[in-house]
Amino acid sequence: MIFLAKLGIGVVGAALVGGAALSSEGFMQVQVHEKHAGGTNLNLFLPAALVPTTLRFVPKRHLAEAAENLRPYLPIVNTAIPAVEECPDGLMVEVVDSQDHVRISKRGGSLEVDVSDTDEVVHVSVPLRAAQSAIHQIAEAN
Amino acid sequence: MKSMRKGLPRLALVSAVVLAATLAFAASTPRYLHVRVTNLTTHEVVRVNLPLTLAEKIIPAINHGKLRDGKVQIGNFSADGVNVRAILDALKTAPEGEFVTVEDHGDNVRVAKEHGQMVVHVIDKKSNQNVDVTIPWEVAQALVSETSDDQLNLEAAVKALENVGDTTLVRVSGQDNVRVWVDSRNTEE
Repeated sequence: MIFLAKLGIGVVGAALVGGAALSSEGFMQVQVHEKHAGGTNLNLFLPAALVPTTLRFVPKRHLAEAAENLRPYLPIVNTAIPAVEECPDGLMVEVVDSQDHVRISKRGGSLEVDVSDTDEVVHVSVPLRAAQSAIHQIAEAN
Repeated sequence: MKSMRKGLPRLALVSAVVLAATLAFAASTPRYLHVRVTNLTTHEVVRVNLPLTLAEKIIPAINHGKLRDGKVQIGNFSADGVNVRAILDALKTAPEGEFVTVEDHGDNVRVAKEHGQMVVHVIDKKSNQNVDVTIPWEVAQALVSETSDDQLNLEAAVKALENVGDTTLVRVSGQDNVRVWVDSRNTEE
C-alpha cells in the first residue's frame, strides 16, 4: 500500500515536473478558420518548448538552406527578440486593404499575427523566447 | 501676510512634488515612432507603431547593406571641404526665417528655420506631391554626429528623438499620404 502511494506520488511528481518544463516557455496558438461552408476550423494550443525539441529530430539536411540564410541575421535576432520582449504591449504593424487585414502585435511575452482575408481568418501567437530558441536550433543545423 | 508666508513653503513643496512626479512620468513613458501610409486609390493603409527604445537597440545590431554600426551610408551627399557640423551650429544660432528657396519647373524647395526646427518643404509638380520634413535641431545635429562625409548617424538621431516633444517629422500628401511622427501613445488614435 505504501509502495503504491510512493509510486503514485512519483508518477504525479514526474507529470508535474514534465508539465512545468513543457509550459516553461509558454504556449503557441494557431487558429485557422476558413470562411467557406465546410471549411477548416482549427484551434491548436502547443507548449512552445516542444518546437525547439521537435527541431532536434528534424534531419539536418532539411534545415541546411534555412540555417545558411538565417546565420547572418542571428545577431539581429538576438538583439531584437529581447528588445521586443521589453516593449510595452500593443499593436506594432497593421496593413489594411480592400481584401486583407494584417495585424502584428505584442501581448505579454508573445508576438501575435492576425490575418484576415476573403477566404480565411488566421491567428498565430508565438512566445518570443521559444521563437528565439527555434531560430537558434535552425541556424545551428549543419 | 503671516499666513501667506506660512503657505509659501507648503506651495513650494507641492510644486516640487508635482514637478518631480511629472518628470518621473515623462522619463518612464515610452516614446513611439509612428508611420502611417494611406493610398487614396487602393484604399490601402499601413500603420506602424514602434517604441523608440526598440529602434535604439536594433539599429546598432544591423550590419547589413548601407546600414552599419548605427550609421547609414548615403549616396550623393558630398561634404568635401564643408564642415556640416559648423553649418548646423551656425543655423542653430541664426534667426528664424527662410534660408533657401529654389523654384523651377519640376520642384519648389524651401528650407527654413521655424520654431527652433529645420523645416524642408518640397512641392513636386510632376507627381503633384507635397513633402514636409520637420527636424528638431537636436536630431539634425545627432544625425551628423560622429560621422564621416557620407554618413548619417541613425542611432544618435533615434536617441535624440527620445528627448524631443510630440512632433510630426514627415508629411507627404498626394496620391500616397504619409505621416511619420513621434509621441508617447502606443496607438495612433
